[in-house]
Amino acid sequence: MSMLRRREALWFYLFASPWIIGFVVFLLGPMIASVYISLTDWDSFTAPKWVGLDNYVRLLTDDPIFWKALWNTFYYAAVSVPLGLVIGLWLANLLNKGVRLRKLFRTLIYLPTLVPLVATAMIFKMVLAPSGPLNDALGLFGIPGPSWLLESVWVKPALILLSVWGAGGATVLLLAAMKGIPRELYEAAEVDGAGPVRQFWSITVPQLTPIIFFNLIMGLIGAFQVFSQVYILTKGGPDNASQTMVPLLFNEAFSFYHMGYASAISWLLFAVILVFTLIAFRTARRWVFYETEVK
Amino acid sequence: MATALSTAAPGQHVRSTERVVRAKRSTPFSYATLIIVSAVLCVPLVFVISIALSSDQTVNANTFTIIPREFHWENFTRVFGTELPMQRFLLNSVIISAGAVAGQVLSSGLVGYAFARLRAPGKNALFIVVIATMMIPSQITMIPQFLLFKELGWVNTYLPLIVPNFFSNAFNVFLVRQFVSRLPSEIDEAAMVDGLGFFGIYRRIMLPMLAPVLIAIGIFTLTATWGDFMGPLIYLNDESKMPLALGVQYITSTSQALQAPPWNLVMVGSILLTLPMILVYYLGQRYLYEMDISGGSAGVK
Repeated sequence: MSMLRRREALWFYLFASPWIIGFVVFLLGPMIASVYISLTDWDSFTAPKWVGLDNYVRLLTDDPIFWKALWNTFYYAAVSVPLGLVIGLWLANLLNKGVRLRKLFRTLIYLPTLVPLVATAMIFKMVLAPSGPLNDALGLFGIPGPSWLLESVWVKPALILLSVWGAGGATVLLLAAMKGIPRELYEAAEVDGAGPVRQFWSITVPQLTPIIFFNLIMGLIGAFQVFSQVYILTKGGPDNASQTMVPLLFNEAFSFYHMGYASAISWLLFAVILVFTLIAFRTARRWVFYETEVK
Repeated sequence: MATALSTAAPGQHVRSTERVVRAKRSTPFSYATLIIVSAVLCVPLVFVISIALSSDQTVNANTFTIIPREFHWENFTRVFGTELPMQRFLLNSVIISAGAVAGQVLSSGLVGYAFARLRAPGKNALFIVVIATMMIPSQITMIPQFLLFKELGWVNTYLPLIVPNFFSNAFNVFLVRQFVSRLPSEIDEAAMVDGLGFFGIYRRIMLPMLAPVLIAIGIFTLTATWGDFMGPLIYLNDESKMPLALGVQYITSTSQALQAPPWNLVMVGSILLTLPMILVYYLGQRYLYEMDISGGSAGVK
């Protein structure tokens, strides 16, 4: 290697050193430590006690709350992410019609996504109160509203409602992508006699599938890690009906100091996320359309 | 309309307003839907303002209305009075966010540039590691990191929330690398011939050109840090060190058992938490758009 190339390599490692150090200190080291901790019984004050796979076995076979949290997380992700995407797509399609005041509508629809999650949680605590505006609105139609956050049947739909309030984030991305669809496709479809609905399903949706797919993956990963809303609004209650994986992990680690048990939960959470991401990628071949593949 | 479209010669200039295809034509129905949806989405926001402007009596009686009836603007100055450490929360938020943004902007530019331009053995393998780390959820490292910071005596200080940002992160490295790859390499080659060193090239040539991507990274980091709840919740237990996002929640959770939280002041806090985000988005949206699109589609394929 020439002097110059060697100097260049040196500079590369110098420039990249922040990331390399950060990777070792804040990611690789902690990951290895996490594997070890998950195999121990440790309160972080006394010496850790080696228990092998006991934490995992206990979680999977002897902890009904873990299974409940897993089910709740799954329920939340499986409903909130597709629902948010469908609403986002529907709104983007409406905005993509040549409406006047499009910028105003787009801003109003996007505004909720700018509200930080803590503030959103505060807002929904009031909106979802038993005598709050949502139940008032339902009352206008003669529907007696439930006390959302206090009833085990309604607490998950309530959290989903909160997440759907932010569907505008997907709308803005999808709208930008819709602008990029070649108009010739629509013109040709029109000549062939396809109506607006047919055009939406046969042109708009297939052309958007890469963006929809990206949002789906990111949304699923985010939904599996839901924390702030649950922690602030329900603390997992009532009767663990809204307990999800990360709040459970947080409680085990920082309320009860079960560091080993909590670390085991984090690895199981990682496994769950990985499995669902892989499933999404597996099915993607069947429904995600990339223009480059055709040509 | 359809036949007129197909017979128009390619070179012929047709005003775009006349060529709106049917699927893209708006109907009264689409306006009605948009108005209803926008209104429904805005009700919670109007409700917040209404609560923020209501009197303490209304709070205690829990008789809020969606449309503001009372206008107690003094609530916005009251939160800075002595009864709540709101100005302290706000200051803490600013300190933590400024530190985090500075860290990410400084480190991400440098690392991203290195991955895009400099040649070194092992670089490609290292880049695969960068991408792979994006998949690791932060919950895995959360507990060991906490123990590490506890050993260092950093618990109950701002440091655990700021310092890790000085080591960049995979997403930002990726963004900068993609951005630099699209810049013509003749510029830095010419600078090299002129005798500028690698750091000189970065400092004098690259840094000015990186402004859009670094601003976008600054905005992403600011938004994430400003609204972060879990980090402060883990590391800060002293009221005087809490940022606004945690402080607002703290006020509602520590009020007396029989007394309702001061919802009007909590909502003023929520508004103070939200307004900077709206402002930042408004000022920086063109950078965000650019990065979202290029980063987003590149991430999937």
